[in-house]
Amino acid sequence: MLWVALHFPLLSLESFAATLLAAGASEAGGEPAIALVDEHRISAANAAAQAQGVKPGLKKATALALAPRLTLGQADPARDAEAMLPLAHAALAFTPQVSLQPACEPGAAADTVLLEVQASLRYFGGIDRLLQRVQQAIAPLGHAVRIATAATAQGAAVLARVAPPPRCLNLASTRQALAAAPVWLLGPGREHWEALQGMGLRQVGDLLGLPRAGLARRFGETLLAEIDAAFGRRPDPREAIVPPRLFESRLELFARADSTEQVLHGAAILLARLVAWLAAQHAFVRRFRLLMHHETRWQQGDRTPQATSLEIALAEPSRDREHLLVLLRERLAQLQLPAPTLEIAIQAEDIVKRAAPNSELFPTRQSENEGLTRLIERLQARLGADRVQRLAAVADHRPERASRGQRADASGRPAQASPRGGAGARVTDSRAAPASASATTTSCLSHPVWLHPVAEPLAERRSRPLLDGRPLSLLSGPERIEAGWWDGELAERDYFIAEAADGALVWIYRARLPLSAAGESNGWFLHGRFG
Amino acid sequence: MDLVPASVAAPSPPARPGAGRRLFPRSPARESSRSLDRDPLRAPETLHPSLWLGHQLGRTGGDAVATGFARLDAELPGGGWPRRALSELLLPHAGVGEIRLLAPALIAAQRAGRLVMFFDPPAALATTALAGLGFDVEDLLVIHTRARIVAGSDSLWALEQALKSGHVGAVVAWLPPRLRADRLRRLQLAAHQHDGPAFVMREAAVAGRPTASPLRLALQPGGADRLQVRVLKRRGPPLEAPLSLELPTVLSAAARRRAGPASERAAALHAATFVDLA
Repeated sequence: MLWVALHFPLLSLESFAATLLAAGASEAGGEPAIALVDEHRISAANAAAQAQGVKPGLKKATALALAPRLTLGQADPARDAEAMLPLAHAALAFTPQVSLQPACEPGAAADTVLLEVQASLRYFGGIDRLLQRVQQAIAPLGHAVRIATAATAQGAAVLARVAPPPRCLNLASTRQALAAAPVWLLGPGREHWEALQGMGLRQVGDLLGLPRAGLARRFGETLLAEIDAAFGRRPDPREAIVPPRLFESRLELFARADSTEQVLHGAAILLARLVAWLAAQHAFVRRFRLLMHHETRWQQGDRTPQATSLEIALAEPSRDREHLLVLLRERLAQLQLPAPTLEIAIQAEDIVKRAAPNSELFPTRQSENEGLTRLIERLQARLGADRVQRLAAVADHRPERASRGQRADASGRPAQASPRGGAGARVTDSRAAPASASATTTSCLSHPVWLHPVAEPLAERRSRPLLDGRPLSLLSGPERIEAGWWDGELAERDYFIAEAADGALVWIYRARLPLSAAGESNGWFLHGRFG
Repeated sequence: MDLVPASVAAPSPPARPGAGRRLFPRSPARESSRSLDRDPLRAPETLHPSLWLGHQLGRTGGDAVATGFARLDAELPGGGWPRRALSELLLPHAGVGEIRLLAPALIAAQRAGRLVMFFDPPAALATTALAGLGFDVEDLLVIHTRARIVAGSDSLWALEQALKSGHVGAVVAWLPPRLRADRLRRLQLAAHQHDGPAFVMREAAVAGRPTASPLRLALQPGGADRLQVRVLKRRGPPLEAPLSLELPTVLSAAARRRAGPASERAAALHAATFVDLA
């Protein structure tokens, strides 16, 4: 058994800082000074605050005198637990045996993740490579971490609090390192710290030589049990955590967010949690939802919604944080927030489990398709899904109805992206092909590429049509198109190809019968240009 | 890559023809032809594919895309539309034959299994005509950008994304009018990552202004089914006379006889005769 303990010493501070950054508190000039307060005393301070002299244990007033711009917050166990979960999820990508070490103090959130990695060593290429990968996996979540390895779960959890955390690979070295650890690192030892110090017991090793019965009577059974578990003399079963089936993570903002840019900052943190949850299940997300809870207003007749929901659907399932963030940014940039946002949440349930894609050194067809899908998604996210169109032929003789812009279903090209989608596309294709062929049996090129959406009426002089004040000369025609009696938009037209004064070819028509159809008036119309 | 002769590699004064002949006897004819052709002082363009002399056409290392028109290929550096660079086409209005001009290059990109994107086409595209030209309509994406407060900001953004991604086979964009020069330069930089031809269509009025794109052509209708191409900018000497290209024909043979210069054209159709018959 080889246990890895990931200890996050600044978890409370960092989870508080996450809510703060989201509110856009980052003034120009580096990191803001942040500290946590517990009963009027500073309990934790970040590097920027410590540089100004704020230390844990200071009085709140003293700290504020030292650093007037200090942002003070309070530790919140619920918020810490929310931040802890994705760290455990990130660890699940390496071994199924992941558990949370319960906190020493009652009421506090756990701040240590335990991984049993003996079975994963060979796959990841040794403990050093594995730890490197673990660090990379938890880096996007933005927490400072101390990593210890030990032969027992309890031992690893204790050793992770030692500075610097030792790496022990077998039981003997674990026991040796534990014996040198300060005694207050043991959970139950902390409350007896003064008594132990008075008895000259500073290190865990000092306790080992004492009679067990006396030790149990003075300091309780739990201290003995913990020492035994840490030294591997007593079974220490751990329950592995299981990632929830639905993902939901929320972030309560410290200050209200007025702009979508500030919301995006917090959403980036939630997306990192989403990616960790996906990695734990070897899954890819297909759609997720960003919920923004708004400030409630108590005005009469105010119709501001409680929350705004932004649904992001992906053409190709993904768990690339950068890509998801780009999509979210483009969508948020278009959104107008009805009210300031107090809390954001990301929910995801629509996921696909599949093997991770191979990473390619050189571009291949597959990587190109994937890149195209992402490009189209990005364009759709900013311009709107309907603005990216794929042309489709429609079986209709009226030129203005023979083609239709369809919304492109982002996966690069339907015929190749997925076999099922490809079959569907082929069917419509084969249906459309004879129609278009029959429409153009006379000559392929006799119809123009450019069609005016609305036919443009042309002036007329001595029964010759004029374009820009100069007469058109008719070269070819008429081609009669008569269709649409079935849907009330009857078109009876005689089309001519005409040459404009500058030599360009245009496509013009006049109604077959003067005053025949109600909608079409008499005279010449410009309908297309030969591009 | 051709090997540079050993004498060329030396930075010292050019080796006399026949230096070292005593040690390595070679046939005199071969020796002299090599030293004449490959002497870097007389023909420095042999040193590197991107070097060319002012009176020569620039080369792109055979990387260009054939236009499908032999006369145009002969006048373009590298023998076709450049890859990884913008090709700027100036049009008086849509519908002078520009799609028929670009069709061979775009269809070649589609045949290679790549996607073709149209940005902001000036009018609706007719699928029947595109299919008639040989396009695979399924592999054609049309992107309509919206007019924002800053005109064209979305269209330039979208075009830049497509060029930068490097996954699109060919791009045709109708740019907003009165585009600032730095915007075009930015597109040209993005086009370096685009492995394929990129065409930008602009109004004819910008012909006098400088451009960042290495190739600029002005298109004019040159009569029915003909296109006049003036090469305004290329890597090479300026081209005085416009090229007249024969486009894939729209008209039947009889109809073409009616077109042409007014003096020799047959009588144009009189629509009234047909319409009255109906």
